[in-house]
Amino acid sequence: MFWRILWRLLYASRARLALAVLAVASGAAVCTALLNLDLDATDKLTREFRVLGANIVVSAPQNGDAAPTMDAVNIERIQQLHLQEVAGVAPYLYLSAEAQAGENDAPVIVAGTWLDEVARMNSWWKVDGNWVRDRDNRNDCMIGEAAAAKLGLVPGKIVKIRYGGREASLTVSGIATAGSSEDSQIFIGLPLAQELGVQKSQVSLIQISANGSAPEIEDVIHRLSIALPGLEIQPLHQLAQAEGRLLERIRGLLFGTVLLILVLTSLGVLAAMAGLALERRRDVGLMKALGGSVRRIMRLFLAEATAIGFAGGIFGFIVGMALSGWIGERVFSVSTTPRLIVLPATLALMVLVSLAGALPLRLLGRVRPSDILRGE
Amino acid sequence: MMAALVQVEDISKTYAGVRALDSVSFEVRAGEWIAIMGPSGSGKTTLINILGGLDKPTSGRAMVDGVNVGTLGERELTRYRAEKVGFVFQHFYLVPYLSALENVMLAQYFHSVADEAEAAEALTRVGLGDRLDHLPSELSGGEQQRVALARALINHPKLILADEPTGNLDEANELIVLELLRELHRSGHTILLVTHSPEIGRMADRRIELAHGRLMHIVANVN
Repeated sequence: MFWRILWRLLYASRARLALAVLAVASGAAVCTALLNLDLDATDKLTREFRVLGANIVVSAPQNGDAAPTMDAVNIERIQQLHLQEVAGVAPYLYLSAEAQAGENDAPVIVAGTWLDEVARMNSWWKVDGNWVRDRDNRNDCMIGEAAAAKLGLVPGKIVKIRYGGREASLTVSGIATAGSSEDSQIFIGLPLAQELGVQKSQVSLIQISANGSAPEIEDVIHRLSIALPGLEIQPLHQLAQAEGRLLERIRGLLFGTVLLILVLTSLGVLAAMAGLALERRRDVGLMKALGGSVRRIMRLFLAEATAIGFAGGIFGFIVGMALSGWIGERVFSVSTTPRLIVLPATLALMVLVSLAGALPLRLLGRVRPSDILRGE
Repeated sequence: MMAALVQVEDISKTYAGVRALDSVSFEVRAGEWIAIMGPSGSGKTTLINILGGLDKPTSGRAMVDGVNVGTLGERELTRYRAEKVGFVFQHFYLVPYLSALENVMLAQYFHSVADEAEAAEALTRVGLGDRLDHLPSELSGGEQQRVALARALINHPKLILADEPTGNLDEANELIVLELLRELHRSGHTILLVTHSPEIGRMADRRIELAHGRLMHIVANVN
């Protein structure tokens, strides 16, 4: 009989309840979208942050005045660890060299590196011209914006690099703007830099780009420390902290919005239910006169609110997943994957919100049948 | 002589300083049909509400089937209303979104367990066997009052409280409802019926006449 009455109750008030379901569905859609973004997109954003470059640096310890270097075999050791979190590895050998372009002459830092990896790990750099994507290229180079300005270089021009009496002539492929010290450097292939510096199989440092949260990065550092004894392995704190702060802010914004939506949804349900409560005063008075206990009568109304929460929650979940994909693409430029765990969370939230919004119906428990049946 | 089913002893009821009932006492034997009469505001509905457990007396005792209704707590009153009394109201008071059958089953549901076949039989007894699935809005006033009668009887209450049950009916439907009440009386039900109509009052075994909350007369009818 309970379900029969409930069905009749839902059917009889379908127009007003449709409004409540609509309010819940709207709230559920936004909540689903934001919760899914929080679960899915922040994970992907963490990966996206990796385009901002390396976040771990492996270097040789300082030894006297000479610039410390380490054996390039350490790169292989890192690769052999097959760490899932490691997205990119780039060795660097720095030379304090002289550069000449036409009549311009200036001291520059030459960074010998894997040019293809630099391009992959720093895809956010603004490049005028083209990246050099050939790891062993000996004819072309990338040059930082400040160094290019000092030497009056544009893509396609020739730059001569001198170091310790040795010289190499390279064509500028692209001018890079990174907004950091890289803007004053010239990037050449690692083998050429090792030849110029007569430092065969030596590198100054290794930059690593790793995915994951702060504890995951710490774990990567720990494992690298074990595999590379005697080397210094440091996180790039500034970048990691900035990423962390940004993610925290995004997450805070998402949860704040979800909370606000829940309150607004609850108010929407409350508005719809307040009218319904007035309509039902007479029915409740009558049910009490017939021997209906407050608990039994309220159970009907709470089941009704739960049904609203469920219906709105499911409808909102479907819309919310589509919304999540759209927000992910448009706002964060990441594609999101629907997470099914969001469904029970959304349903639970929507049922709670509906029950909270059904407060006016709970007040019906106080109705005195004699007042109602007397016509007050 | 049958035992008293209802004992009203010196009952008073005051609403915001106004005395709706003033030291009223009487007894009703099981199986009796009592008509409660009097002008508007004389305390008839207040008396019915107290006996039905919808209201509490300010002072005095209202005993129904050995239970002092005025001292019952909320939970006990709920059980009392479900088990001991059956109400019939002037305005029918059916749940508008439930069918005739479901309105009767609702009383069963609050009493114990809903039994569709028994509810259908009750409606058939009042001549509504072909209107089971109709909503109250699809029934005439007389038909709605007959649904209310079936609902009042479905849990076999000790006492039927009818507050002007024909007040909103045309003559034809009034006769149908009165005939049903007569049948109930003949089958041994105890009925307390509020009415303004002297004709209906004379159908009862006794008439209790109230004025300004006071009991003026108890008149036995010779039928």
